[in-house]
Amino acid sequence: MDVEKLEQEAASALEQADSLEQIEELRVRFLGRSSELKLALREVRDRESGMRLNALRQRLEAALEERRSDLEQVELQHKLMAESIDVTLPGEHFPEGHLHLITQIRREVEDVFLGLGYTIVDGREVETTHYNFDGLNMPPWHPTRSPGHSLFLNGDVLLRTETSPSQIRVMEAQEPPVYMISPGRVYRRDTPDATHSPVFHQVEGLAVDRGISLADLKGTLLHLMRALFGEKRELRFRTHFFPFTEPSIEPDVSCHMCDGAGCPVCKRSGWIEMGGAGIVDPNVLEFVGYDPEEVSGFAFGLGLERIALLRHRVPDIRLLWENDLRFSRQF
Amino acid sequence: MKVPYSWLREYVPVAIAVEELADRLAVTSVEVERVSWRGVADLDGNFDRFRVGRVLEAEKHPNADRLQLCQVDMGEPEPRQIVCGAWNFGAGATVAVGLPGAVIPGGMKLERVKLRGTASDGMIMSERELELGQDHSGILLLPNDWEPGTPLADMFALGEPILELEVTGNRPDLLAVYGLAREIAALYRLELAPPPGTDPELLADEPVQISVEDLVGCPRYVGRLFRDVNIGPSPPWLKARLSGAGMRPISNVVDVTNYVMLALGNPLHAFDLARLTEGRIVVRRAHSGEQMRTLDGIDRKLDPRDLVIADASRPVAIAGIMGGEESEVAEESDSILLESANFERVGILESSERLKLRTEGSNRWEKGVDPYLAEQAAKLATELMVKLSGARWVGHVDVQGELPAPASITFRPERADELIGVPIPADEQRGLLERFGFEVAKDWTVTVPTFRTRDVTREIDLVEEIARVHLDEVPFTLPARRAMWGRLTREQRLRRRIEDALCGLGFVEAYSYSLVDSDPDPKAIRLPDPLTAEHAFLRTTILAGLIRSLQRNLDAGNEEVALFEIAHVYLSGDDELPAEPVRIAGLTWGGFARAKGAVEALYRALAAPEPSFEPARELPFLHPLEAARVGETGWVGELHPELAPGEWGAFELDLGALAEVACDVVVYEDVISYPAVKQDLSFVVAEEVAAGSMIEAAREVTGAELRRMDASDVYRGPQVGEGKKSITFAVAFQSSERTLSDEDAGALREKIVRVLGERFGATLRS
Repeated sequence: MDVEKLEQEAASALEQADSLEQIEELRVRFLGRSSELKLALREVRDRESGMRLNALRQRLEAALEERRSDLEQVELQHKLMAESIDVTLPGEHFPEGHLHLITQIRREVEDVFLGLGYTIVDGREVETTHYNFDGLNMPPWHPTRSPGHSLFLNGDVLLRTETSPSQIRVMEAQEPPVYMISPGRVYRRDTPDATHSPVFHQVEGLAVDRGISLADLKGTLLHLMRALFGEKRELRFRTHFFPFTEPSIEPDVSCHMCDGAGCPVCKRSGWIEMGGAGIVDPNVLEFVGYDPEEVSGFAFGLGLERIALLRHRVPDIRLLWENDLRFSRQF
Repeated sequence: MKVPYSWLREYVPVAIAVEELADRLAVTSVEVERVSWRGVADLDGNFDRFRVGRVLEAEKHPNADRLQLCQVDMGEPEPRQIVCGAWNFGAGATVAVGLPGAVIPGGMKLERVKLRGTASDGMIMSERELELGQDHSGILLLPNDWEPGTPLADMFALGEPILELEVTGNRPDLLAVYGLAREIAALYRLELAPPPGTDPELLADEPVQISVEDLVGCPRYVGRLFRDVNIGPSPPWLKARLSGAGMRPISNVVDVTNYVMLALGNPLHAFDLARLTEGRIVVRRAHSGEQMRTLDGIDRKLDPRDLVIADASRPVAIAGIMGGEESEVAEESDSILLESANFERVGILESSERLKLRTEGSNRWEKGVDPYLAEQAAKLATELMVKLSGARWVGHVDVQGELPAPASITFRPERADELIGVPIPADEQRGLLERFGFEVAKDWTVTVPTFRTRDVTREIDLVEEIARVHLDEVPFTLPARRAMWGRLTREQRLRRRIEDALCGLGFVEAYSYSLVDSDPDPKAIRLPDPLTAEHAFLRTTILAGLIRSLQRNLDAGNEEVALFEIAHVYLSGDDELPAEPVRIAGLTWGGFARAKGAVEALYRALAAPEPSFEPARELPFLHPLEAARVGETGWVGELHPELAPGEWGAFELDLGALAEVACDVVVYEDVISYPAVKQDLSFVVAEEVAAGSMIEAAREVTGAELRRMDASDVYRGPQVGEGKKSITFAVAFQSSERTLSDEDAGALREKIVRVLGERFGATLRS
């Protein structure tokens, strides 16, 4: 048998083959059970010609395999090219859930304060006047004590008018230092309209430790406001009056819409009011048995709805309570 | 409180732009709502186009019955011809004229026009057109000694900025122009004018009969008597100030009382002496059953707690709140008894709330007025009464109880530094306190001025005085912590995990009011005086709110509605306060099965063992038969079809109970090394047999090697017979220690077949 001739013949046949079927035919022809090579191998008696023919078989097998692999690639390409789709058609539908906007903001605030090492307290909503007013240094004649402003269950029990009573409960339950925030629902006798709701959410913050100052309050609130409204925000304090803090201030944040230049959102002032805050009044500290000469503290209260309305430009607070999916799915 | 800028500048020479002043005040002293403008706009020579005119001739317009044709001397060589629609004047009247080109308040520009064929070279202005008051019944008549041609702006505040302040309850001293001037003088280190008001000569010594029966409610009563009072309009400067301050000019005597209140902060009242029985004043509590008609024409029932000003026979004013109609100063009044008193604040506040009557006066009294102010207020009022109404001052009395002594406080400037967080030199602190009116002794004993006694009683209050002026300098620091332990509690972490799991399942979070119109629980707490009937109960279940939201979404045509809410409910018990557990409620399309699937997924998300589902009946809002208790945690069910069209599934679970079963640390179990043997087993059982009980029984007899047994299909039909059903279970046997052989699996299967046969009469279908 002429090895060289056979090898040449196989090479040229492989070169001409252009389908996997032809490759299979060539395999049968050159390497099949009744092929010339197989027959020759069966006849081999000496070691030398055996080696020669086996080497040829290996070469032929390799050549065949190489050609098959090439042709497979070509065929795959052809197949893929026939499979074009419209990628602009929608994907398969998954129902997607959404957290309420207030929950999203509540978590953002919580995460800021967790990062600062605060605990989070879930205060109770039905409160006694003892915690809602007396403990907060609210004088007996204070207007929010009247049923005209607040929702009472009886003379001594009401729906809390702010999240502040949780301050008192926390301080009564532990020794200083205290670092906590308390988000939750509060209640006022307000008829619902675009900016009022009889039920809304506040977050209370309280830090009591040795040497707490207004500067600590300012830095803390700046940190929070930048987390909520962007790194460019600035913060200022305006003097104010609350019974439970002294000095009392209202923090203003530079307007996130106009960067302080003045626009309708900030009523052209460049600043937006964000809530109430101050140094915890010594009467409040004494009420819970803390020594105002030993420790001092700051406290603040912010409205979560206010943040939502301002930041997301929601025009009406009632949208937050209607749960219309067209609204909820935006956030 | 509205403060005309020119009035302020009478007491303090502040020269900066009003906007700049407003910004500073807003930070250090008082909230500024806005800076507005009263009167004529001050632009581009506009003030100059408003001048004094004297009417030389006035007659009916030749072509119009309702118009007058006037020749008006404007101090120019020739008189101007002006057509006017008012008839309250004639030749000789001195009037205010807007010349062509003038822009009047409201923005209209005056032109030289022809009215009914006659040229009109300007406009004669009414009080309202100049924003000096409300009167528009005729034109404004000016004093006859004003020279024609004089710019009106030289005679009174023709137009000026108004500071509109929102004064907080602790600063009643700022409810007065002079008080604000004092604050500004301190802030800008300017010189403050002495308080306005100097007594003229007392012309007689007539007795003034004042008796104060309640010196606690009324610690001071200055009464002054005036004779020969000419009631008439106030001069333009006074009208301009009152209008700028937001009050309506009425008559010289009433205007003086209002003016003094605005200037100094002490409300006054003027009585017509002739209408006081026996000409006497008695300050006392109302007798029970007493009534009076107040100036607003309303009959008021008085309470024995109400402090009243009475004459010898009846109440003539509710002290500090409103005068009575019967003793009101009228045009014919000739003798006036002026009250400059001091009333105790809480009593006024309570009376004002009882009567639902709030006035400029009550607003000041309830915040606390300096009792030492009454005398100065009386002086200013007397000076103006004499000057403006030609009255003779003929009597004076000053009844006093014990007036509070000025408080003194020991102050540590270093304490202020600590609390403010920025060092402020001690001498600067001293200077600041002194400018605010405090006396500071060498040893830092601080005496509080009487106009601040209510607000400043402790060292911390003085710290605030320092702080509020230095707020912009307070640096941004964080507390220097020595201990850090902030983290979510376990329940808070679980709550977040539940929120996220439900979102992942396609639920949208809802918020609904905790106050509802009704509640299924008869023990639900009812508010005795709710905002409306819609908000009368504190809810014991969240589902009602979700149903409401569902309906809104259905009305809007929204699809695939799946809502959840996590909130407190309120359960009354024996304690003073209700329990407030947190509940997780859901409402979804797809009926019972989808709601149950969500509950099961939630349990898996918390790595809690699968709960039992026991049929439950008569749960509120649910289909009577398609409802189940979920372990000890809550319930799941099909919404009652009356509540919403279609099939809706609902659940409500207790967060605390879920926390009990949630697993914090999952321990690895080998489900990888040895393969599971999977089989489908179908059993025919009677209709009433629950798949759950069959699985429970199978678990009992097989133990841990029964890895899974889920009911995957239920079939009813002729092949299984009437009253029966076939349940197919997907079963997986697996050991974590070895590969189970076919014999092992067969033995386990045999145990299941046997126990289900024994307990439920189940037969295995082959």
